[in-house]
Amino acid sequence: MDTPALPKAYKINRFLPYWAVFQADLKQNLRSWLFRAWVFLSLAAAFGYMLYRYGAKQVGFIQPASTLISELLTYVVLGTVTIILMLTGGTICSERGTMADSVLSRGISRFQYFFGKWHARLAAILGSYLVMSIIVMVSAYCLLHGESLSLWGAAVAILAVGAILAVVITIGVTLSALVNTTMVSIAIGWMLVNASCFLLSMLPDNYPTPDRMLKNLPNILRGMFDLTMMSRFIGISLGVSLAVALVGMVLFARRDV
Amino acid sequence: MAENPSGLVVESFKLTKIYQNRQIALNDVTLRLEPGCVLGLLGPNGAGKTTLLRLILGLHRPTAGWVKLFGKIMSPNAAASRRRIGYIPTNPQFPAGMTPITYLDYMARLFGLPLEVRKPRLASLIRAVDLLNVSGDPIAGFSNGMTSRLAVATSLINEPDLLIWDEPTHGLDPEARRSMLELIKSLAKEKTLIVSSHNLSDIDEVCNHAAVLSRGHLIYFGSLQDLKGRMRRNHYELDLDGDQKNIAKAAGAIKGLNDFKSVQVRQRRLELRMADDVNNSSALANLFMTLADNKVTLVSIRSVGQQTEQAFLDLVEKEESRGFARAYQQQSEAA
Repeated sequence: MDTPALPKAYKINRFLPYWAVFQADLKQNLRSWLFRAWVFLSLAAAFGYMLYRYGAKQVGFIQPASTLISELLTYVVLGTVTIILMLTGGTICSERGTMADSVLSRGISRFQYFFGKWHARLAAILGSYLVMSIIVMVSAYCLLHGESLSLWGAAVAILAVGAILAVVITIGVTLSALVNTTMVSIAIGWMLVNASCFLLSMLPDNYPTPDRMLKNLPNILRGMFDLTMMSRFIGISLGVSLAVALVGMVLFARRDV
Repeated sequence: MAENPSGLVVESFKLTKIYQNRQIALNDVTLRLEPGCVLGLLGPNGAGKTTLLRLILGLHRPTAGWVKLFGKIMSPNAAASRRRIGYIPTNPQFPAGMTPITYLDYMARLFGLPLEVRKPRLASLIRAVDLLNVSGDPIAGFSNGMTSRLAVATSLINEPDLLIWDEPTHGLDPEARRSMLELIKSLAKEKTLIVSSHNLSDIDEVCNHAAVLSRGHLIYFGSLQDLKGRMRRNHYELDLDGDQKNIAKAAGAIKGLNDFKSVQVRQRRLELRMADDVNNSSALANLFMTLADNKVTLVSIRSVGQQTEQAFLDLVEKEESRGFARAYQQQSEAA
């Protein structure tokens, strides 16, 4: 009766469960209608606005590419924060119950599951944002007055906006791990992001806050920015993102599913 | 095994689960499951069966007490322990758009199985559960029987030492149910199983141990034979042959015996209920003598009520009738 288990003749790949969740969530996200709508609407709005500016250029108005790109990046942050929260707010809580059972009852830890989901959403949203930004930037450079655009400045601007989006994505995924329903997760996330922005705007002028960074985008795109300040802004954003994720991961590991 | 000095597959101690200080789902459950056990988990709806299984799997965290799997404390992050479990939930759900091949591959990767192991194994399992001709079809269109077979394959993909199957025969047609029971019997030869079921005849057929939960409390844990031994055997049905007048006369004589509190005759069938305090062997001996004296032939005799079911109902009834006495008994047991 008490027979010892036979040793398995293969080595378990401990990284594989994380990778499986990452791939499955990435595919699921890329197939979702909300994600596709976000990408389509963002590109449609960007090209519509760019054509309008191109028309103005054709009749003789000066249309710096840096101005157009800064406006579009600001739109990405301000206009799509709610959509990004919707894309991330149901990451984990929407699978609570039977679907989570079939995954979390297997050989995967809660940490791996959280990391897999979080990284998949970061990859899907930030990857799409990066591709869209590059397409828009190249188009604006070619169609408008591209001499106002600095390559180094463009890279820093994309990174800075990406850092803000990373914080929003992380907040959404973390909340989805801590609450029971997607709607509650989105509502709390929306309030948290807006309240944080409001509180940050009250800091002294020498602090790099998201609203100041967005206002300064045209200058950043022209290559006129303080590198230390921008590095600090990106570093703090990524640090906040990591801290929020760690809190979410630890609390998720203590929850019932 | 060095890593599991107790040698037990599952061990729980004073396992208690209280949901948000509102609902006591499980109360003070202590059990020890040895390798090779086939444990039938019984209990009415809301008794705490699924909560117990989820605690064993580490999907829930205990409010108090602990549960060990293969000698190690179970927790949400105990992935290594879960690699030795094969689980089927009550109503298995599958991601939309996946096929049996992609789903089993996904599950195998969740167990960390390398490519050269998981691909041949999933192919063998798909063949074994007879899903070969639909292996590329979306699971969304599968019948209950097909999803159950896929769930069985999923629970075996990691070659587990412990199988936890929650209501494995739920929603299956008689043929599929029979196959499932036969599968459990064959798996029981080499694995430890925990089978939760409402169908007591299933438990009776495949299990050698039983755990009975009632309102979150473990009211019985032991062998199925012992559970059946607790049953009150006081209700019998006899099929008789002989002249109808003789049968009626015999029934009248049996009514005169003090051993039986109820005697009913329907055509050639006699239904008897014994008095609570009589020895059933001597009462049945008197009964047979009375039948012989009246020239009535006994065709068959059977104890009424499915044995495990009767024992289970007796246990639950007894537990509920104890009232406040259970508090005193628990304290004296603890002392």
